[in-house]
Amino acid sequence: MPLLSLKSVSKAYNGVKALKGVSLDIGAGEIHALMGENGAGKSTLIKILAGVVAPDTAEIRVDDQLVTIDGAAGAHRLGFRFIHQEMNVVPALSVAENISLARSYPTRAGLIDWRALNASGRTALERLGISHIDPRQKMARLSLGDQMLVRISAAFLSAQGKPARLYVLDEPTAALTKEESERLFRVLEEIRSSGQSVIYVSHRLDEVMALCDRGTVLRDGVNIDTGRIAEITHDDLVAMMIGRKAQEAYPSASMAASDRVAFRMEGVTGGGAGPVSLEVRAGEILGIAGLSGMGQRALLRMAFGDLATRSGKMELDGAPYHPRSPADAWRLGLAYVPAERRAEGLVLTRPIFENMTLARLKAMSGAGIWLRPRAERALAGQLGGDVRLKARAVTQRVKELSGGNQQKVVFARALSTNPRVLLLDEPTRGVDVGAKFDIYTLIREMTARGMAVILVSSDLPELLGMADSIAIVREGRITTTVSAQGLGEDALINLCYGRTTSEAA
Amino acid sequence: MLQILRRYGTLIGFVAIVIFFSVMLPATFPTLKNWLNITQQLSMLTVVAAGMTIVMVMGDFDLSVGSMATLSGIVAAMLFVAGVPVPAAVAIALAVGLAGGLVNGVLVSVIGILPFVATLATLTIFSGVAFVLSGGKTISGRAIPPDFADFAKSGVALGDVAGVAVSLPTLTIVAVLVVGLVYILLEQTSVGRRLYAIGGNIEAAHLAGVAVKRLKLIAFSLTGLAAAGAGLMYASRVASANPTQGSGLMLNAIAAVFLGMSMSEEGEPRILATVLGVLILGVLDNGLTQMSVDSYVRQILVGAIIVLAVAASALGKRSRR
Repeated sequence: MPLLSLKSVSKAYNGVKALKGVSLDIGAGEIHALMGENGAGKSTLIKILAGVVAPDTAEIRVDDQLVTIDGAAGAHRLGFRFIHQEMNVVPALSVAENISLARSYPTRAGLIDWRALNASGRTALERLGISHIDPRQKMARLSLGDQMLVRISAAFLSAQGKPARLYVLDEPTAALTKEESERLFRVLEEIRSSGQSVIYVSHRLDEVMALCDRGTVLRDGVNIDTGRIAEITHDDLVAMMIGRKAQEAYPSASMAASDRVAFRMEGVTGGGAGPVSLEVRAGEILGIAGLSGMGQRALLRMAFGDLATRSGKMELDGAPYHPRSPADAWRLGLAYVPAERRAEGLVLTRPIFENMTLARLKAMSGAGIWLRPRAERALAGQLGGDVRLKARAVTQRVKELSGGNQQKVVFARALSTNPRVLLLDEPTRGVDVGAKFDIYTLIREMTARGMAVILVSSDLPELLGMADSIAIVREGRITTTVSAQGLGEDALINLCYGRTTSEAA
Repeated sequence: MLQILRRYGTLIGFVAIVIFFSVMLPATFPTLKNWLNITQQLSMLTVVAAGMTIVMVMGDFDLSVGSMATLSGIVAAMLFVAGVPVPAAVAIALAVGLAGGLVNGVLVSVIGILPFVATLATLTIFSGVAFVLSGGKTISGRAIPPDFADFAKSGVALGDVAGVAVSLPTLTIVAVLVVGLVYILLEQTSVGRRLYAIGGNIEAAHLAGVAVKRLKLIAFSLTGLAAAGAGLMYASRVASANPTQGSGLMLNAIAAVFLGMSMSEEGEPRILATVLGVLILGVLDNGLTQMSVDSYVRQILVGAIIVLAVAASALGKRSRR
């Protein structure tokens, strides 16, 4: 008897069917992968389980009892716990307060018992083997990865009242390092052995293959297949998700990089990072690898004029380069795709074409002032074609697009100025397989045109598949730069941790 | 149907108000003369609200517009007393508005104070300066040159309607011109596009190369300029300046922008919607006054209507989520 059984779950938004009769069984003590491209219906299904969205039709059974999920509180009563992709933390509160946020704080004589609160926070963190986070620290001071760890700890801290029976994790490792992810997996395995179940949503197939017992693939709102993960190959999974034969995961470079150095940083410090020295040639992709929060972001922000440099020098095509603002950087021929597309990349409420032309609005406008919407829409249509954007029209609002298509809009903006140097920060985070391949192809096309690319990524296969050489960042410095040729994932991980291969277990 | 009601509820409400007063006051409300009178009464508020729309597009506020309007009126009147010719005095008073707005802009964008706090402080400062300059007294009578006072009384003759001479008030023309300029700025220029981008996502706009600081300076300066212009229009209309006369403008201007925002699907301020917001407030005031409704009751009604309009649009948004 399965713990949870879903039958013929359907849901339509404004007449558009997101789910068309999906069925799903989750056994007790099972880690079940839920896979599919963005827009396949995973999020809707999870929202229904969380009680956030009411299904049009559904037959939901828990322990063979027919139930209806009555809001978020109802989901909680059924023992469902959720860890979402999007962060929801209170930055001004401490780690321990955030961990206990959904519960009532321990009290003594009617006042908050801070010692007990901090102790329970520490216990929750230790469960994930985390010792480097002080529960008394302000949440805002933590890196994104650490914040995610805190949220995960909070979800695992046994709640008062109804015990947890099913954890639903949506892209939990998007902001985590390999080591942090490994710790999370150990905890999930513990949960499995105690008879609780997990629904695990991830675009990272390697994780799914390593961790999950069974998997269900959704495509266009229907379940394509459910099966034991051990019996499926990686390529089969990809083929099921995108509905066509799996392509090469990474398109290969069509030509070698030139000898001309397009961009150089020499001994640059600023924002607590550095000194950083690197150079990238025209047509080259320089990968930046490292544990999360090691200064990758500061490096890009200094190159892009958003973060003031304290010392060192930068050169663009051999000439001194001193951007004082992102506006300078765009004008001088750099472009930037930030890591958080919703928070840093897009004006979600505005149309696609306005987002695409924002960086070159001045050049597009008559006398730099008068808008020429028709020309803008024409350019946006062309850029949309270049990035293989799937949208109804360029006047559609960006917030109506899927994650992958939103990211393509950010890329289209970066291309709109014909940059010489392209800075990419986690360009495929939370992007589905199909769109990922489009983005990789696009990056290759740009390097073929002589663009230099700096690619910051926590997705190691991506770095190995795309980059020509890889610089390792630790504590704000570049410790070493290696050729990506023939480099394995293990070797790269060890470089990130600053170990030599022989030391690694 | 429900969608239409949410989207156009404010507009429908406005039409309903107009029909209501036309039925209740058939002789005096739906006349050309009354409507021209309403537009003149509303011209100052229109100018302030148009300026307010510019900063609110960026998601900011300017609470100091009312006291800036007061200050510019006082400055002009003091200059008149000192014998400065009307054009020069008006130019200086407008420059004070521009400078005051620039100060707001510096506080908000360069120093990084929340607009609410920064403009609350300058509200007090501008008001205090107006009191100090005027010594707390009303400047009126012979001190105000006839040229200046006549400006508000003038108009473009439209001919006779039913035997009564009617004219389009100059103040109305000024308000329409200001609205036109703000429309062009916000809807037709790259500056307006960038202001909307800042309002939608300031971090994304900054990283896309939008000069956020400079645009904030420009926007706040223009809001200050508009407030000063409205102050001069007011001083001309009442042929006097006193250190409290602009005080009602700020809340009404913000209310008008909010009423306008309730009509936009994304909750963005739009200048033409702001004008409709101004009209709702003005028509209510005009009609209720004619029906001899007590002014305190009027306040309650106006407040209730603002809550209704904004709540309806907020609920509409939530249900679509």
